[in-house]
Amino acid sequence: MTQTISFTFNGATIECEAGQSIASALINEDQRELQRTRFGDEPRSIFCGIGICFDCVVVINGVANQRSCLIEAQDGMNIESAQ
Amino acid sequence: MKNPDAIVIGAGIVGASSALSLTNAGLKVLVIDRGAVSSGTTGAGEGNILVSDKDPGPELTLALHSRNLWFEMQEDVGDSFELEAKGGVVVARRDDAPLMKLATEQSQHGVTIEKCNHARLHELEPYLHPDISSGVFYPQDAQCQPMLAAAHVIRAVVQRGGEFISQAKVTRICVENGAVTGIETSRGTFNAPIIVNATGTWAGEIAQLAGSHLPIAPRKGFILVTEPTKKYIFHKVYDSDYVANVASSDADLQTSTVVEGTRSGTILIGASRERVGFDGSMNYEVLRTLAAQATSLFPVLRDVQLLRAYRGFRPYAPDHLPVIGQDAQVKGLWHSAGHEGAGIGLAPGSAALITDAILGRESFMDGAAFSPQRFATVRV
Amino acid sequence: MIIVIGAGPAGLAAAEAASRNGTEVALLDSASRMGGQYWRHRTKVTGYRSERGETLFAKVRAADSVTHISEASVWSAHREGDLIRVNYLQGGIESSLTAEKIILATGAYDRTLPFPGWDTPGSMTPGAAQSLLKGHDVIAGKRIIVAGTGPFLLPVATGLAEAGAEIVGLLDAHSPLRWSLSPRALLENVSKFSELLYYARLLRKHRITPHFGRAVTAFADGVATISTIDSDFVMKSGRSRAIKADVVAVGWGFLPDLSLGGILGCAQKVDSDGTVIFEVDQNQLSSQPHIWIAGEATGIGGADLSLIEGEIAGLAASGQKISSSLFRNRARKQRFADALKRTYPVRDGWRQWITPSTIICRCEEVRSQEIADSVIELGAEDSRTSKLFTRAGMGLCQGRMCSRNVSEIVSGITQCAVTDGERIAASNRPTAAPISLGQLADGKNSL
Repeated sequence: MTQTISFTFNGATIECEAGQSIASALINEDQRELQRTRFGDEPRSIFCGIGICFDCVVVINGVANQRSCLIEAQDGMNIESAQ
Repeated sequence: MKNPDAIVIGAGIVGASSALSLTNAGLKVLVIDRGAVSSGTTGAGEGNILVSDKDPGPELTLALHSRNLWFEMQEDVGDSFELEAKGGVVVARRDDAPLMKLATEQSQHGVTIEKCNHARLHELEPYLHPDISSGVFYPQDAQCQPMLAAAHVIRAVVQRGGEFISQAKVTRICVENGAVTGIETSRGTFNAPIIVNATGTWAGEIAQLAGSHLPIAPRKGFILVTEPTKKYIFHKVYDSDYVANVASSDADLQTSTVVEGTRSGTILIGASRERVGFDGSMNYEVLRTLAAQATSLFPVLRDVQLLRAYRGFRPYAPDHLPVIGQDAQVKGLWHSAGHEGAGIGLAPGSAALITDAILGRESFMDGAAFSPQRFATVRV
Repeated sequence: MIIVIGAGPAGLAAAEAASRNGTEVALLDSASRMGGQYWRHRTKVTGYRSERGETLFAKVRAADSVTHISEASVWSAHREGDLIRVNYLQGGIESSLTAEKIILATGAYDRTLPFPGWDTPGSMTPGAAQSLLKGHDVIAGKRIIVAGTGPFLLPVATGLAEAGAEIVGLLDAHSPLRWSLSPRALLENVSKFSELLYYARLLRKHRITPHFGRAVTAFADGVATISTIDSDFVMKSGRSRAIKADVVAVGWGFLPDLSLGGILGCAQKVDSDGTVIFEVDQNQLSSQPHIWIAGEATGIGGADLSLIEGEIAGLAASGQKISSSLFRNRARKQRFADALKRTYPVRDGWRQWITPSTIICRCEEVRSQEIADSVIELGAEDSRTSKLFTRAGMGLCQGRMCSRNVSEIVSGITQCAVTDGERIAASNRPTAAPISLGQLADGKNSL
């Protein structure tokens, strides 16, 4: 039995199963855009999926550049696209 | 260009600036480098253009003029190397008397200073550790992107009739009757009555090829680069230990705290000094020390990730002054090297000094203190 | 004790082999579960011969002398006298382990090529689609194109299809007829035919028709441009079509991550396909004493080869005898790996797919025109100099995604071949994983 957990992404509440990565939870909810680039403000999403490319980075509880494809979503996390 | 008016060996910032200065004075200049542009210490520099870290004396005079020449170079070559008069903040962690004394002396020699109390310090740098309550602000300190600067300056030299040949290693400096006549390299022979040795940490090797001697040795330094962050650091910030370290002759590792942001959003953290020859190996203890020092000044940096670390070899002379001027033995061989950790800041000023000396005209200062003559030994 | 870094096929095989004579093994891996990328799973491994993975997991778990340290991100390692110290982060805290012997088995990541739109949401690697599916039970999108080259496209496309995704395109730049270039490798690796049949059955079941000599050469606004390309990857004019897709999963083989071995000073060389790999002897021993390397970092070759190399490394490091049949098997699998390189090479024509505004360095958003300018205007002659001028390769991924492409773009302009030295220099980094300044500082004097 997998537990449902919920976190916020840019203020919106997202639900997923415990053990899923933040990126997979967002993509599952059709939230494809994860961050915007710092010079060109271009949208980026998951790219390599295994923690090499850093395109999937988000801000978790105020800490920037966290790889959402690797990090498991935890209940109550406050996640944002940018600081 | 087989017979240029002058050959500059070294396409780092010092060589590039020298070449530009000579070109602007009407000479046809050939620049050569055994590698590419900025392949030496310039490629490992932070881009410091400082007046704050210099004691009153010839080096400060050079630094002040050179700093202004940087902005003239930007006017001349174009705004293409992130030159910014961001200002420097020097903090005193313990007793601030030495720093305040130095600042007062500097202010009597052309340096603009602002002594800061706790409130002013934290207005300038809001993320500075709250316990730090004394420092000096130096609005004249500036920063640039040195590799881009050297590249754009070389480009200007080429556009104005000069030439640049990379991957050309000097194998021989031809000297006849005590004067240079040219050089042999892995990419050809070139004749010129004027050769400028701007090879930084390797300047001694070049001097040797001409049968002369320059006591320039490497002083290794590491720089940490962080991931791009929200803007936490607004000026170049360093603690007053930095000044003492520069002047020291200890071979052992010395570190001080130097922190600054960059245009691209990363933060550069230094500074370490070691005399370990050209041993370029990574030293994790140094990285940890630099990280510990930086986070003690700016606690917010604790959560910021290290992106990479790199090292360079600063060229220094035994008396910690640059070497600018004609070789003691060989006529026509001019040196502009040994700028230690101040090469970028001092480059255009050194270029002006050496161009004036080569053309036999009066310069903005008396460069005797920098002369290679000071190393001349009595021959038995 | 032996420290094994990486719990994919090579690392698991090494740990299991070393444990056979009771040798203590610390098996470090950054993920929470064993398996690496190849056997990525959430509950159980699925896919072709998945029981192979489960069996090996069980053996490793049952081995008393093996300690699996999961969620350990190794950021550096260095010698301390006769020992090697490995520094890692676990749960935000830095720890370290020392041992006399290390086996590196850090695997590989998808190799990518730029094309207009490759940086936009929906464009990803096959590995990303695979990881979302196998690791998190999430299907990457509704209409998916799987493209690039190499046998990895098959498990990705069929795995997605089995999970209910609509695969609207399966494109390989090369035709499988190219296997005829390697008859010996095919004949002596007959088991591969049954693997092929396994995938062929699934493709038929899901009515997926693979197309060859095709590539995704642009992607924007939910539309992928599929071009017919020649054997040099040059687009054939007038032979492009548009297909609606919300995901393009494009990969061009794999690249090993060499950071840790580089930090430890292990000698590198350039493989026949231009990939930088480590030099190892017949026992998988690197140029550094007491450091063995197994798996993709010694040459991209797939899971079969990784398993054998891992076993050899584990036996060698623990002082056990290595049977000649193991060496023969490895040779057979190496010939198969060479055949893979011969069948699925990446050719230069991709440089014509990009436009001046195509992003080449994703992290620092450096476009193709800027790289060209650094060469033409500023005289950069190699990727290192181009990097200093443009910042390409200086971002968060430290060039893992782009540095090979930057080298080849620069080479295309200068018309000078990329040197081995340049390739090797570009793959070396002082840290193997992120570490914060606070973590670095706290580790001072306390480790």
